[in-house]
Amino acid sequence: MNERGTLTKEEVRDVFRLYHEAETEQERLRYREQLVDQYIGLVEFLARRFRNRGEPLEDLVQVGTIGLLKAIERFDLERKVEFSTYATPTIVGELKRHFRDKGWAVRVPRRLQELHLELTKVVNQLGQELGRSPTVPEIAEASGISEEEVLEGLEIAQAYNFTSLDAPIDASDSESTSFAEQLGVEDEHLDNLEYRASLAPEMAKLPERERRILYLRFFKAMTQSEIAERLGISQMHVSRLLNRTLNNLRDALQEED
Amino acid sequence: MSDRNGVDRIKVTIPAQPAYLRVVRLIAAGLASRLGFTLDEIEDLKIAVDELAAYLTGAQGRDGELEITFAVHENRIDIQGVGRLAPGQRARTRLTEVSKMILGTVVDRASLAQPDGHPMFELSKARRR
Repeated sequence: MNERGTLTKEEVRDVFRLYHEAETEQERLRYREQLVDQYIGLVEFLARRFRNRGEPLEDLVQVGTIGLLKAIERFDLERKVEFSTYATPTIVGELKRHFRDKGWAVRVPRRLQELHLELTKVVNQLGQELGRSPTVPEIAEASGISEEEVLEGLEIAQAYNFTSLDAPIDASDSESTSFAEQLGVEDEHLDNLEYRASLAPEMAKLPERERRILYLRFFKAMTQSEIAERLGISQMHVSRLLNRTLNNLRDALQEED
Repeated sequence: MSDRNGVDRIKVTIPAQPAYLRVVRLIAAGLASRLGFTLDEIEDLKIAVDELAAYLTGAQGRDGELEITFAVHENRIDIQGVGRLAPGQRARTRLTEVSKMILGTVVDRASLAQPDGHPMFELSKARRR
């Protein structure tokens, strides 16, 4: 998914070696171009996570490419890591710096991170106490946060849907490995005819968990809170995954035009 | 403003760019919250706003504006969005099957049309409790 290039690992190493040992600038640029071609898919993949922030994707890819070039320049073949692993933080860093320099708050302010964390906790507690999804005034009262701030906090999930690039914001983000096991039971429903007919092509491309959430929400008509309980993750997390998935589906739709 | 039936209306105009939909979502959430919607219901409302408004803005945004009107009833909120797009900017005005299914789950009523040459969506969601 990350690499569109056609070179094998060994070939990539060879090109890196040739790039570093190149004697003329012309030669160097030619090998660098080969490496950029190899990894431009990674840049596009990462840039896409920052879309819908008011910047055209092509511009973001360009910014990310600067990060890729820096990474190519600095990469040491002696390192025992894959180049893509090495380059990812550099590319993401370049994208984040771009937004920061432009005054766009893509970097999540500390205050909002804490707000989001607190809300996740309170929403879970209230959900269990009340046996239903809480209202905003209820959340405000239980947390001591104003209603306006609660609303802002709820919006963060969508405004900053690149959370997975940063440290997990809630502990449940790290439990995805056991996820497939939790789901096993209901898999036969995924062959449901109605389901296949309406969503199949788009859904086939989704990761298992996203597909599952979409299925439970739109085919089983479970609420976000119910899905959260079923899957053992927070409602806020369900909301974030659901919104991200729907955004991707919408983008795919628009590209068909 | 408020009409004789006690319906409050809020109007907002935004550039037809996806980045500004955040403003619309926040207003929708704020108004729904005043009506006592639960968090689940608010999230559903926001999904519907995104789903429908995406037809008007497209993924990359379009030249022009969206006029959004929120009508706050006693236990229900109606949202209408009209795309005042620049000449040559065309929006798709038929819901896909996927959109119909999504909208059918999250709101009570949703439609997309082009009544007078401008793409327009309408949606309605009532409080359950």
